Amino acid sequence: MEKIIYTDIAVIGAGPTGIVAAYNLARLGYKVSLFEKEESLGGNILKTYKLFPNFQSSNELLQLFGEMIVVNNLSLQTGVTVTNIRKDNNHWISTTNKGETIVSKAVLMATGFKPFDAHYKEEYGYGIYNGVITSLEFEKMLKCGEIYGSNGITPEKIAILNCVGSRDAKVGNNYCSRVCCINAVKFGIEIKEILPKAEVYCFYMDLRMTGQFYEELYRKSQQEYGVNYIRGKISEASQTADNRIQLKAEDTLLRLPIKMTVDLLILMIGIEASESTKELSAQTGIMGEYGFAKSHSLLKADNHTIHPGLFIAGTCKRPFTYPETVADARAAVVEIQHYLENKT
Amino acid sequence: MIDYFERLSRDVRVKEGLKACMNCGICTAICPAAEFFPYNPKEICNILQTKDNKKIEALLKNETIWYCGQCMSCKARCPRENVPGMLISALRKLSQETGLFVESSKGRQQYAISKTIAESILKSGYCVHAENVKPELHPEQGTVWNWYYNNLEEIADRLGANYKKHGPGSLRLIGKKNLDEINAIFEVTGGKKFLETIHSYSTKKAQEMNLEIDDSLNSPYFIKTYTEDSDQ
Repeated sequence: MEKIIYTDIAVIGAGPTGIVAAYNLARLGYKVSLFEKEESLGGNILKTYKLFPNFQSSNELLQLFGEMIVVNNLSLQTGVTVTNIRKDNNHWISTTNKGETIVSKAVLMATGFKPFDAHYKEEYGYGIYNGVITSLEFEKMLKCGEIYGSNGITPEKIAILNCVGSRDAKVGNNYCSRVCCINAVKFGIEIKEILPKAEVYCFYMDLRMTGQFYEELYRKSQQEYGVNYIRGKISEASQTADNRIQLKAEDTLLRLPIKMTVDLLILMIGIEASESTKELSAQTGIMGEYGFAKSHSLLKADNHTIHPGLFIAGTCKRPFTYPETVADARAAVVEIQHYLENKT
Repeated sequence: MIDYFERLSRDVRVKEGLKACMNCGICTAICPAAEFFPYNPKEICNILQTKDNKKIEALLKNETIWYCGQCMSCKARCPRENVPGMLISALRKLSQETGLFVESSKGRQQYAISKTIAESILKSGYCVHAENVKPELHPEQGTVWNWYYNNLEEIADRLGANYKKHGPGSLRLIGKKNLDEINAIFEVTGGKKFLETIHSYSTKKAQEMNLEIDDSLNSPYFIKTYTEDSDQ
């Protein structure tokens, strides 16, 4: 049986962006319908343990999200995927995989990102050798409070590799994912706190410590925690006879090729446009580079699209850190308010 | 000074192989030559993208451009789609054309390889013919090869080869008609001229080094280029 929902704004995606935007729109008195394809809200935050640069607990944020969505005027549906959006006169019609139709004055796409699939970089042996894991799998280890390497025991030597799926023409992603450098620094500190005796080597091409406190944290990881940084991208990982991971890289500052054997290799996987982002952008003709949604004007109208009433915010546009994506959500709220009050 | 960079940038291998290097070192890390020799593919990109003709000239005279084995592993890895292996090909070609190859011992081996492989093709139709694998030039083959070499005809016969005879079979004589055709191909495609260039610069260098040079595989210059640095 078909169900029609009438609302002011349909917000697609209940990650940090969608939640913050929906919450603030509801507080302004608008009727907001928030849709999340997963059973739980929180998006990619669900896969993390603590956030850089201040080691904020992800659980605390998720708890906060839970409190925010109980605001008046906001209805949340989880486990529901918006499969189609289109414009019909002055309204936007969204349809879901549960057969619902949502008629709204505006739509906010907050469909986020998906992590890069490390299988594509076969040379790093992800999915082939034990002990080669992604950054998100390492977050899971941190959550469980137990770090183990290729032999299933506590690792003595750990390598972290940046730019897996980012800044790489070979996988079609020429852009920087923004979050991995500082996340790798965070990992270095987290490892040393749990395993003070473990040797940690972070391989990088450039360390982009652009945010507030990032540079300080980088220095702290070296000075106080003894994390080692090697400027060079790993070219391949292979398995040794004793089931450890051998790495080849160039120490580009020494200008010498190096080989190193470790117990655990953490691949800092990059940010890609999520499937929903790609699908809804394609449908509405707003797909930009690399499958991300494209705003009407980067410098002048970055939450608008070419379609009046269709707004975008957060990592469906490009890689953002957590504070950036939340700031973008708040910016979108103002733009949507102006639109609904015919001020633009 | 010759505008080396301008000449290189006309080479399709440079057009294809030089984009923009960010010095990640992934090529050097995967490079089998870099593991053993004073060669760093990343540095090749680095130097070429400076477009500095002085630096390029130094490269053309340097040993380093002759260590790459052209496996092209660098092509498969580079996140910026540079191909140092292709740049090496272009640099070698330019070094040969400008005669700067004689300034390095590995470069001077161009003479040895032209006298062995290239002339072997033109004279016999074989790149490597058993007859040209002289035991004194190939100590790595051991004493067995010495014996084999001295009894080539008999052994080839026992192994079922058709040694230096007309008709089918391995090591058969390549007929005049086919040899003429190979020579014509080398003539038309510039291969002959290329070999002449190698020989003419090598002859000059031999005089400079006070070493005799002639058409044979026994001349002091040939032996020098053939064996120089071979134990390193």
